Formats: sequence, structure tokens, C-alpha cells
Amino acid sequence: MHPTINYLKNKNLLWQANHTDHNKKNELHTGYQELDNALQGGFPEHGVIDVRSPLGIGELRLLLPSILLRQRQDIAELTTLIAPPMDVNAEMLAEFGLSLERVILIKPSSAQDTLWSTEQSLKSGCCHSVVIWHSCLSVAQTRRLQLAAEKGNCLLFIIRQPNQEHISLPVSLGLHLSPDKAGINAQITKRKGAFSKKSFTINMHHYWPEICQLQHSNVITFPLRASQTG
Amino acid sequence: MTNPPYVMQKLWLYLYFPSLQLDTLLQQSSDKNIHKQAYIIFDEAKNQACQLNKAAYQAGIRLGMGLGTASMLKADLQVIPYQEKITTNKLNNIAQDLYLATSDICFFSDNGLLLRVHNMLNLYGNLATYWQHIKHILETQNVHFHYATGHSPLAAKLLAIKAWDHITDNQKYIKKAVSQCKLQHTELPLKAIQKLNRVGIHNIKDLLNLSLADIAKRFEIDIVTYIGRLTAELSHPVNFFHPKPYFDQIIELLFDVENIQILQKPLIQLLSRLEQFLKERDLLTQTLNIYLSQREHKPIELEIHSQQGEHLAKRWETLVCLKLENITLNSPIFGIQLVASKTFIRCPDEQDLFTSKQGTLSSLQLTSMLQAKLGKDAVLSPILNDDYRPEQTTLLNQTSPKTAINVSLFALRPSFLLTPPQRLQEKVYLTSGPERIETGWWDSEFIIRDYFVAYNTVGQWYWVFKTPHNKWYLHGVFS
Repeated sequence: MHPTINYLKNKNLLWQANHTDHNKKNELHTGYQELDNALQGGFPEHGVIDVRSPLGIGELRLLLPSILLRQRQDIAELTTLIAPPMDVNAEMLAEFGLSLERVILIKPSSAQDTLWSTEQSLKSGCCHSVVIWHSCLSVAQTRRLQLAAEKGNCLLFIIRQPNQEHISLPVSLGLHLSPDKAGINAQITKRKGAFSKKSFTINMHHYWPEICQLQHSNVITFPLRASQTG
Repeated sequence: MTNPPYVMQKLWLYLYFPSLQLDTLLQQSSDKNIHKQAYIIFDEAKNQACQLNKAAYQAGIRLGMGLGTASMLKADLQVIPYQEKITTNKLNNIAQDLYLATSDICFFSDNGLLLRVHNMLNLYGNLATYWQHIKHILETQNVHFHYATGHSPLAAKLLAIKAWDHITDNQKYIKKAVSQCKLQHTELPLKAIQKLNRVGIHNIKDLLNLSLADIAKRFEIDIVTYIGRLTAELSHPVNFFHPKPYFDQIIELLFDVENIQILQKPLIQLLSRLEQFLKERDLLTQTLNIYLSQREHKPIELEIHSQQGEHLAKRWETLVCLKLENITLNSPIFGIQLVASKTFIRCPDEQDLFTSKQGTLSSLQLTSMLQAKLGKDAVLSPILNDDYRPEQTTLLNQTSPKTAINVSLFALRPSFLLTPPQRLQEKVYLTSGPERIETGWWDSEFIIRDYFVAYNTVGQWYWVFKTPHNKWYLHGVFS
């Protein structure tokens, strides 16, 4: 760079187009009223969100409305799904409204490749949301992913099993999910600039009325916390 | 009064490269001291040194010396066997580059190029400007060369081999220089030269003093042909070179390489040549093929893709390095070939100047990078297929599809599918269903299934089905 330009930049006398003040700091709505209330707005604009949840209780469905919102807002082009535990059913994603040509699916063969592709996707600047299914993460790895997410203005969701040993990871938001009759039970375990609160129920009836246990069913209630102890 | 029609005098330029193989090999090394080391290229068939560098010359080694004499003169002499392939290759590269400045190029011998100058002068105006362009291109090649113009191809060649190093269209001046040449420098066979010497003819001048008819009477026909062509009395047909429309270059390594890291350097050299090639033609390429020739095994073939199309060496370098991480060398590498067979014209892409993006990649660049490292099958983009069978609704593509197919979608589908469906092992409670899917009679995968949404005792949501034989399967998970 020309020394004069450098000098002016250091003195803060030069305005650059990419330094435009993005005032739209308002956070993105999650699509669920209860979660929005608990988060006082919604998910952060970028960063790492640690979701600890058993498989198949609606953890992906909880994230889909905000991913859809980000796709529609055109923050960046791609949604990346990395190392899903089973085959992703594209019909469900398409039915929910995601445009599939802007979704890529990565199936790395090793844990190292998973983290590598996550970091590359995050910092590329062309992904708005990345979802990874990955169990063991160290503090250093999370920190690295957090920095990459900030660089690429991207939101990373890490979905992992709740029975993994609990170390406090440097993430923007930590969620602990458990099943519930009406939808899903969530507890915010970690959040930047706020205290964690008691758990609350997120009603998913609005999006998926069929995937809720009917109120008038004659099924006996089962212990909700069973998944955490097992 | 009208001017008499301008008769264009024929003029040829010959470029003689005395040490093409040596220059090619030595320019790979970044070490500046390499030129202090004496190197010769040794032709085993003729048992004589055919190329040498300055250090070897200073040690007293001359062209045509045997290996014994040469090694006596310089103890630490490096001897490299002559390989015609390297020379031809380099000559081809030079011709490719020269083609951008001059149209008629001919491979006249294995270490020289003949250029037809007179028809290019209309474009360049005068000879000096033309030579300036040619010289500039030659200097970028980093090889030793001698040059001369002549009124016939053979005259130009003769003068260039003599290292005359003059560019002129003055016929008298050229003829004078030619006539002073000794017969040894000509292409006449040794026997013919001896015969001529015996009758007292030692240089071209003596030979030219005789009439062609007299020479024809006394000597063989090849002397007549040579003299006729030299003086341009006989026409000399030449075949001109047509450049390849794609990029294909080989680097022969100075020494065998067993370490992948060391391979990167010559590869970068090749990639920057590719960049230059593509840039000059305003092209992009999506696929590169790299062949690493191994000493004792079959060559390793690498195919590298960039979804977007690139010309920058820097971008290709990252992709190539990622690909190289995954390979192992069985035996040392002695040569690298880079081929970019398909190219297309670059069209500038539109980008928003004011978006505050910090990342620098486009989505296609990201996909290419991921594919280079993880393999093509690991990076997929899902598309829908018009089929009622749940396992066939999702197709996974390696490249992103351009057009979306219109497929009727069904509500209530799980986010994950188990392939193949597994027998249901636990107790579940059904909440909705059945939804019967009976299709596929036209192929081997005929199904009749009643699908239900169910949950188990720990609250996981399943998509289960029942077959006509009352067997229950778990097919999906509503994650």
C-alpha cells in the first residue's frame, strides 16, 4: 500500500467503503416467540452457538427458521451442513422453504477434516450459516472457529450430545435442549453479556402441529429427564 | 507518375540457442552460486560435450570434447546426459511465446528457430522495432541465444551459429558476412567439405565464385542444393508452426525429488507460466491435470478442479497444495507436466463494492477448495428428484445444479433418513398416520409402506413404516 494511504488510515482520516457502519445490530429472530424472549431479540448475528441436545427431539427444526431467515436476508450465499449423523433429507429442507441450490453438504472422513472444512466455510465469507455435528471440541478449537465466524460474518451451530463431558467452551451462546410435549425444552447455559436463566418450553406447534404430543392423548406421561441421565 | 510497385525483399531471422537444456535445468534453481559450478550436457551417442556453461568454458572445456578430456580439465565437473525431449520442449515454449509477436515461426533444427521477418515488417514498421519486441520476449525466457538475419533461411542460420549477432536488412552486408564463413560452419557433410578442401576451397567465398552449373558437374547434388538455397537461388520450403490452443508444459527436474514440499516450487513456476498463458489470451480454466513422472512407478495423475474458473497462479497454488497433501510418492519424481486442456473466455463477475464482506472467496471457490482437500465425493449439493419413494427423493450432486426441478413436496418428512431402514427395536407411540406410499412397480424397488409419525419413551421423534407383512421399520428421524 502507498505510504500516504497507510498514514491516513492510521490517523483515521480515510473513509473506506467497507467500513460502513452497519447499524442493523438488532439480532435475528429465531422464529420462536419463547426463545426470542429469552434471548431478548434472537440469535447473535455471527459467532458460535453450542447446542447440546439428544438426537431427534427437534434440535434441527429449532434452528431452521433462523437459517431460513438468514438465507432470505441474503447475508451470504450458502448454508453448509457438515458431518450430519445420517443422510439429510432434502425434501424436508425444501418443504420448509430453503432453496436447495444454496445448501451444501460436506461429509468429511475424519474429525480433523470436519474442523478444517468448518473453519474454511466460516471464514470464506460466502456462508451465512454453518451447522456441524461434532462431539469433542477443545477450547482452542472453539476459539479458532469463533474467530473464523467473526471474520466471515457467519453463524455456526454446533450440535452435540448432552452427555459429553461438560467444559465451558468460549461460545457466543450455549443452549441445552431436552424433549417436551409441546415442542422442545431449552435452557440457556451460556450467553455473552447475560446471565443464564431457568429452562423454558419452546412451542413448535406453529410450524409442526403433527410433531407434538396431543394434549388429549391417553398416552401416559414419561419422564422428561430420562435422556439426560441415560 | 506512379511509384514502381514495392518489391519486398525476403528476410529471415534465425535464433540459435546453444545451451537450451542446460539453461532450462539451471534456471530451476534459485541458488545464485549454481553458475559458478561447471556443468556440461553430454551427448552419449556422439560421445562429446554438446552444451556447456560459462564456468566450464573458463575451465577450458570446449564443445565436442570427450568425457575423459573434459573431466581431466575440471575435477568437480557436473555431467548431465543430453535429452532431446527437454530441448524440444523448451523450444516449443519459446515458439509459443514468440507467436504473440510474430506469426511465421519454423522449427528449423533441434536448437534453433527460424522466423520469417519480411511479412511482419508491415505491422512493425521497421526492423529495429520488430527486433526489439522479439528480443524482449527472448530475454524473459532466460536462455542464451545468438541471432542473425539473412536473405535465405540457411544464410541466417549460418550466421547465427557463427554468433554474428547482427540485425540488418542490408543485403550486401549480409552477403559479405556469409562469404567469410568457413565451410566447417555449414551443414555440408564432412566428406563433401574434405573434398572441397582438397581442391582448395576453404570458405563460402571460394565456393560462390564458381557457377552453380560447374559445381553440379563436379560435386554431389547436395552441395548444389545447399549453395542454391544459401544464395536464395533455389527456393527453400519451410513448415510453419501452429501454436497449441491449450496449455501443456513439462518441467524436467534438475535432480530427483522425493519430498512433496520441494515439488511445490517447480509447480509454482509452471503455474505462473499458466497464469501468463491464460492472461495473455484472457482465458480461464476449470481443470488442471498434473502428471508427476516417477522413476520406478507409473506417473501420478492429479486432476484439480476449480468450479469458478481461475487464471491466477496463487489461487491454483492453494488448490494444488491441498491436493498434494493427500498423495504419497512411491519413488522419486523426475518431471512434472501441467496440462490445461479446456479453457474458456473470462467474463467479469459483478460484485457489490459496498458490502462489508471480509471473506474473499466466492461460493464456487469455496466448493473447489473443499473438494480439492476432501475429495469430490465429500462435498455435495442436494437436489430433489421426482420420485415418491423417500430414499430416492434426495439426489446428491457434486456440482451445484443450475436449474431447480419442480417437484411436488409433501409435508411431514423427517430431516434425517436411515439408509437402509432399520427394524424397529423399541416401543413407540404413534401420533399421526398412516400415509401409504405404494410405488416403484416399474423397477426392482417396489414398495408398499404405511408411514407413521411416532415418538419413543425418551421423546425422540421417529418416522416409522409398516410393511404388508406387518413388519415395522424405522426410516427417519425428525431432528
